[in-house]
Amino acid sequence: MRTGSGFNIKMIIVKNLTKTYGKVNALNNVNFSFKDSEITAIMGENGAGKSTLLKICAGILTFDYGEIKIDGYDIVKQAIKARENIGFLPEMPELYDRLTGREFLFYIASLRKIKNAKKIIENLTNLIGIDKSLDFELGGYSKGMKQKISIISAMMHNPNNLLLDEPVYGLDPLTSRTIQDYIKKIKGATIIATHSTQLVENVADQVYIIMKGKVLLKDKVKNLTSKYGSIEETYFHVKDENNV
Amino acid sequence: MFDTTKIVLLNTRRSLFSKIKEAPILYFFFILMMIGSIFLFAFITFFLTYSDFEISIHEIFIGIFSIFTIKSIVDFYNSYTKSETVAYSLSTQVSQIKTVFEIFLSVLMIQLILWFGLSVFYLLSLSFFGMSFWYPFEYMLFSIGIISSVFLGTTISIHFFSSKKYRLLPTIIVLAFFFYLQHYLFIVFISPLLILHLIWAIRHSLSSYLYVNRKERIKGKYETKIRDRILAIANKEITILYRDRLLFSFIFTAVSTGLFTGYLYINGNEILIPESLRDVVADVLPSSFIMLGVYVIVIYTAVFPSLTLFLNEEKTLWLLRNLPIKNDTLVFGKAATLGLCFVTAIPFIAYVSPFIGLDNILYLTWFLIFSYLAGIIIAFPLGVRYVGKKSDVLLLYTVAMVLLFVIGAGSLFGKFIGNNFELPIFLYFLIIFIELIILYGSLKLSSRSYALKY
Repeated sequence: MRTGSGFNIKMIIVKNLTKTYGKVNALNNVNFSFKDSEITAIMGENGAGKSTLLKICAGILTFDYGEIKIDGYDIVKQAIKARENIGFLPEMPELYDRLTGREFLFYIASLRKIKNAKKIIENLTNLIGIDKSLDFELGGYSKGMKQKISIISAMMHNPNNLLLDEPVYGLDPLTSRTIQDYIKKIKGATIIATHSTQLVENVADQVYIIMKGKVLLKDKVKNLTSKYGSIEETYFHVKDENNV
Repeated sequence: MFDTTKIVLLNTRRSLFSKIKEAPILYFFFILMMIGSIFLFAFITFFLTYSDFEISIHEIFIGIFSIFTIKSIVDFYNSYTKSETVAYSLSTQVSQIKTVFEIFLSVLMIQLILWFGLSVFYLLSLSFFGMSFWYPFEYMLFSIGIISSVFLGTTISIHFFSSKKYRLLPTIIVLAFFFYLQHYLFIVFISPLLILHLIWAIRHSLSSYLYVNRKERIKGKYETKIRDRILAIANKEITILYRDRLLFSFIFTAVSTGLFTGYLYINGNEILIPESLRDVVADVLPSSFIMLGVYVIVIYTAVFPSLTLFLNEEKTLWLLRNLPIKNDTLVFGKAATLGLCFVTAIPFIAYVSPFIGLDNILYLTWFLIFSYLAGIIIAFPLGVRYVGKKSDVLLLYTVAMVLLFVIGAGSLFGKFIGNNFELPIFLYFLIIFIELIILYGSLKLSSRSYALKY
């Protein structure tokens, strides 16, 4: 697990967040705090509100009520500043089919005004193992290749906060391990929405289990594994305890 | 039985209702225009019937037949060839040919619902003008013609997107005979042959599905420059337009429309207008052809890209919304792309000028710029407003109707200035200047419209 510097605490604070889709309550008055140098996993059944939470924090989805601060910047009133400090990977990243991988990354680098973009792109593409396919159009990429490019675009500006929705889904075992190791090294708050209990045990410091838009459990991963044996057992225990 | 047909029809119905819910004003406007168009069509029929002019039933048929053929091509393409969900139906134990046939049936039913709905409204409009609406024999023949248009449209849709395009040859021969004979009964009598042709096409439909959905690793020219944000956005859009071969298509349209407009400017009166009407329209017809030529160019090179610049971002919106850029930057970056699109429209002037005379070049240049800016002013905010909502055809139709009115008024006003002022260039400049200010306002409005509403 990663350890923080102890200085200059950066974090994501979510207060009383409520989001509805028509009559369905996706998130119901929930509170979260994601601290600097801490990896938080969000778990829950399909439709529990995990992806919704990440999209709202990334500034791509509106909400009905509540407040979100990214490193002290309000996601609504100081959207640009807040977004500068976020790297976001959606669950199913769609990219521009007619751009090559390299063109896409340079496009994002231009919009994010990244200095030394060439070097950063070179390093990250080598690390994640997509450097050989960079000059092909994205339309011909496999799901895993698109996932790799999206991960790089989320990380290339070295954001203080990473929001990752199923980051290793569709990746080969080697890249999956590389990504997990990379996540552990990043300083800042990282939030991972996932169904993979193995990923949670491998990288996360704390875990939230949410169901039907409500937080049912928040605890350190090591506490939960020592108490229930594994994250998978914890998940089923919480589910049974709350009759959901 | 007919499970795929039921699912396609259910999906079409739900998708229509969901779109109406998302954009009620747009759909209200569209329905009003549809009703207005049919009513106007009935009035034109009434006017022509009680004047000296003869209406050719063949010309009416060809118009309706073409619309339904094109709609069938598009509907079949969307429901089968490029559908993201059809793979589920194709992977069941039901024969794939049967599944494709059921998709064809759903397309046929959609066209028939439209045909019967709209034609009944047209006949009722005729009765409103006191005309007879009892044409059972013609109505039956027209209905067979519409069904044949779906056969033909589906066949074209299958073969056009296949790697073996030579299979389109029989269809082309049928159409060539149809246009040569100039009689709608040809299509009615040939319908049994069209059914056979359709069955043959459906048997080969899987190859076109596989061809369209194939994945290719295409190597592109890589870009390693860090650009200013607005330039980066414009560069990305231009790269996509270039790789989709749309820029070439714009230039080709500008050249061909220029030549065609010029030809009609000189010979249109003789070719298209009945002799009894020629003297009446002789004064207005040539400038109407110019107006329509410019209208076509503007729709294709200004309105279409203005709308798609945002509508195409439907699935990549997550990326744009997450980037730390101002809405203004995004909107102005995308709008900058249209500068290059305008350059592709300029050949129109070069190719039409030899026909209409170089003394008209000032007016023509002004009119093209005026219409181009008007197209962007109208289309851009609508494209932004409906980003991610898939109402593109409807939007295009709405913008096209509004633009026709604006360009028509602009054409008359421009002619008036040209005929009544000694130095019209100053007024032309003034109008363009005012339009640029309105354009700026339109882009600002687009920028506000793009912002998330918390």
